[in-house]
Amino acid sequence: RAQGAKTYRLGITTPPGHSWNVSAEALAKRLSEETDGRLAIQVFPSNQLGNEGAMLQQMQSGALDMAWIMTAELGTRVPSIAAINAPWLVPTTAGVAKLVRHDAALKLLDVLPAKTGTIGLGYGITTLRVVFTGAETSGIEDIRGMKLRINTTPAYRDFYQLLGAAPTPIPTPQVFDAMSNGQVDGLEADLDLSWNQRFDKVSKTMLRLNALFMPCVALVSARSWQTVPEADRELMTRLIREELDKQVDSTAATETTILKNFSESGIKVVDVNLDNTADIIAEYDKIWLPKAPAISELREVGATL
Amino acid sequence: MNDDSGARRNGWAALTSVSQGILAIEKVVAGLLLALLLTLILLNVGTRMLRMPIYWIDEASVLTMIWLGFIGASVMIRLRIDFAVTLVQDNLTGSAAQSLRAVVSGLSLAFALGLLVMCWMWMDPLGIIGHGFDAESFAAETFNFLYTERTQTLEWPTWLVSMVIPIFAATLTIHTAANLVEDLRLCPKREQEQMTTAEEAN
Amino acid sequence: MLTFGAFTALMLVGLPISIVLCLTAVFYIWSSGNTVLFMSFPTQMMGGLDSYGLIAIPLFILIGEVMNGGGITKRMIDMAMAFVGSLKGGLAYVNLLANMFVSSILGSAAAQVALMSQMVVPEMVRAGYDKTFAAGLTAYSGMLGPIIPPSIMFVVYSVMAQVPVGTMLAAGIIPGAMLTVAFCVVIAGMGYVYNYPRGPRLPWRQRVLTVLRAVPTLAIPVVIIGSILTGLANPTEAAALGVVVSVAVGRFVTGDLRLGQLPRMFVKAGVLSAGILFLIAGAAVFSWVLVYGMIPQTVAAWIQTVAHDPLTFMLMVNVILLVIGTVIDGAPGLIMTVPILLPIATDVYGIDPVHFGVVAVVNLVLGFLTPPVGLNFFVAAAVTGAKPGKMFLVTMPFFLVACSILILLSIFPVLSTFFN
Ligand code: NA
Ligand code: NA
Repeated sequence: RAQGAKTYRLGITTPPGHSWNVSAEALAKRLSEETDGRLAIQVFPSNQLGNEGAMLQQMQSGALDMAWIMTAELGTRVPSIAAINAPWLVPTTAGVAKLVRHDAALKLLDVLPAKTGTIGLGYGITTLRVVFTGAETSGIEDIRGMKLRINTTPAYRDFYQLLGAAPTPIPTPQVFDAMSNGQVDGLEADLDLSWNQRFDKVSKTMLRLNALFMPCVALVSARSWQTVPEADRELMTRLIREELDKQVDSTAATETTILKNFSESGIKVVDVNLDNTADIIAEYDKIWLPKAPAISELREVGATL
Repeated sequence: MNDDSGARRNGWAALTSVSQGILAIEKVVAGLLLALLLTLILLNVGTRMLRMPIYWIDEASVLTMIWLGFIGASVMIRLRIDFAVTLVQDNLTGSAAQSLRAVVSGLSLAFALGLLVMCWMWMDPLGIIGHGFDAESFAAETFNFLYTERTQTLEWPTWLVSMVIPIFAATLTIHTAANLVEDLRLCPKREQEQMTTAEEAN
Repeated sequence: MLTFGAFTALMLVGLPISIVLCLTAVFYIWSSGNTVLFMSFPTQMMGGLDSYGLIAIPLFILIGEVMNGGGITKRMIDMAMAFVGSLKGGLAYVNLLANMFVSSILGSAAAQVALMSQMVVPEMVRAGYDKTFAAGLTAYSGMLGPIIPPSIMFVVYSVMAQVPVGTMLAAGIIPGAMLTVAFCVVIAGMGYVYNYPRGPRLPWRQRVLTVLRAVPTLAIPVVIIGSILTGLANPTEAAALGVVVSVAVGRFVTGDLRLGQLPRMFVKAGVLSAGILFLIAGAAVFSWVLVYGMIPQTVAAWIQTVAHDPLTFMLMVNVILLVIGTVIDGAPGLIMTVPILLPIATDVYGIDPVHFGVVAVVNLVLGFLTPPVGLNFFVAAAVTGAKPGKMFLVTMPFFLVACSILILLSIFPVLSTFFN
């Protein structure tokens, strides 16, 4: 890095190697190249600067310039954002890749400056989430009565409760153990993490509900953004969007590989029958439409993708 | 000894009395928090076995532990039983050791005051009062979203569960000031109940 | 550099380590001019404790309080006596073995050494052992507490390294067993050289009775470990169940525990555990500030120019930690070094975090036994009246053996990761 470069700090929860981190590192590299070292980005992975809540607070005070923050965290604070975490907006990861670049999804970020003191420049994604069950299962109805570890966000809690599960939050590093010694009957996670952690080793069945996905939002601190010259803002915005685009496309492409890995690992993979989801969707929307009205538009858009 | 210094001594003694009063309360609260913590964890085992896990118990128990940590830490500092490198202190005697102890208490007091200031900046009580407790408009103007946030599963106000830090800063200020006036021999040292491990065996 | 100077000075005047960490962080923020970080300081302190695994710490300390107050530890010592008391150097083995039983429950070295010094050392002196040796041996046996599961230090490490608590606890089994066996060998050797006395040979009937009397106390480790293995509970919940069982055993089996004692035990365990929790909170702010200042990255770059392979790195870490461990023992040492060294270990040298944790913990536990600051010696000295310096010299064979085991643990990761 050139001496005297203006360095921006970018915080991220996932460890080096995760596709979100790859996009952040690529962004840092390109920004430095395109400005001949005048601007630089230092990436802080693995919650080094604190968890997502702490990073948001640091962006609000202006200590931290950027962060990739998951919509689970944002949706807990700003319910209207949780619209993107509603079940069955789109049926495939390829559809997810299109949805998060659609205006209907990007519009959700408009409230962020007022509600969180940050500006959302776009989404990164993960693959669609799956449910692993310790006992052998064959359909969505088998989730009923299960103690299910979920990612802690109100949208997910309500969805899995509607499926009849008893959702319980367990920190990510302890999920594998909790599953292997039977503290929970099942867990839900995205495919990337599931393959990394080899959840197939502690489960009998992987249920593909194709219901949920967990995007992150590339956020910049509104406070520090004010101090960035107009031209640099445009450059950074462009680079961030380009790198997110690559991340979104590559994630959609890796899904096939991960699915293949799982089926070769010997775990039973079930594409669950989704014919009778209308009731669940109706129940869910009854709870969430008042808080996140954008859900109906996202459903309409999703159906066309 | 003239009346004036006698009165001042009483003033310092009043400070250590306040510290002792707070200490007594803190001990009871620490015991109760640990009892609550134990209850929450056992409740979690029980309800999970009955297949009715309670969603917010994990967060409630972590918050209980956090409160326990800071309130207990305040006690430890007053009793001077926190982990410390006492290498130099142990090899000094008489007034040199006494002065060093005063330096330690003084530095601790400096930190306590610093933390108090940081809490003030962070919680900005005058700011939120100035906005008539309207968290939204306060946040819009100051970019401080403390009062609009809620915890993840209990969905309690974040500022409320965070109150342990300013409380800690305040009690720490009083305790370290009490330690300091004792070290400076401005008033007699208070008798403290021992809590260290070595004493356990005697 | 200035920050490092301030840090060392604050540490040496005897300021509580937690406050040293916080004040150094304040100082560093100030001198870096990035004063906006002060706004996040309180949240960051609180965030440092925002971890479910840490809940096990107050609960383990509470178990220790209940066991000591409930006569449970005493029963375990009697049981060890019945097993090995009549061997040559019998009481020395009793000391070690009793420590091992208690280690399987107590998470802290200081608590264990205090208790054992009080219960076993007088007995050894009466039987004709040198007091300094007896006290020194107890100090070494106290090494087992934080290594044989459960262990507060492993809990602290697992939270910092984001490794499952259960995995980390299991990782202590083999190193704990190795140390126990090695110390037995040293006792046998020293017993032969110095002609240690045999303990009284108890009649078989009495031996059986003693063991039977103590058997119910084993319910405590059985419940703690069993509930984890069967999936009834995670380590934190197992600790909570352990509290319940030890109260029941103390009340209904030994009968020494009065329920009226409980409130005081809760207060004491609550306050004592806060010592560790506040330290972790301080370390959280400290390492967060260092990360903002890119210090870990700078240290990592320097280390890479010196150590070119994982083994060299591990040996270097051992030297660094042994030096740190002369002055700062146990959990505080762990808390200050892990944030800097662990990312280098895992990201640069590809070392398994469990392996790294075992080496770091065993090393810093050995710090309890190195002068000038060696907590185990101090505690043993406070209770028995023996001199810490002399204790260190008399027990030198134990030190050398422990160092050898440390090197083995550094070279062979499988000794730490076998139960993964
Ligand atoms: Na132990
Ligand atoms: Na030492």
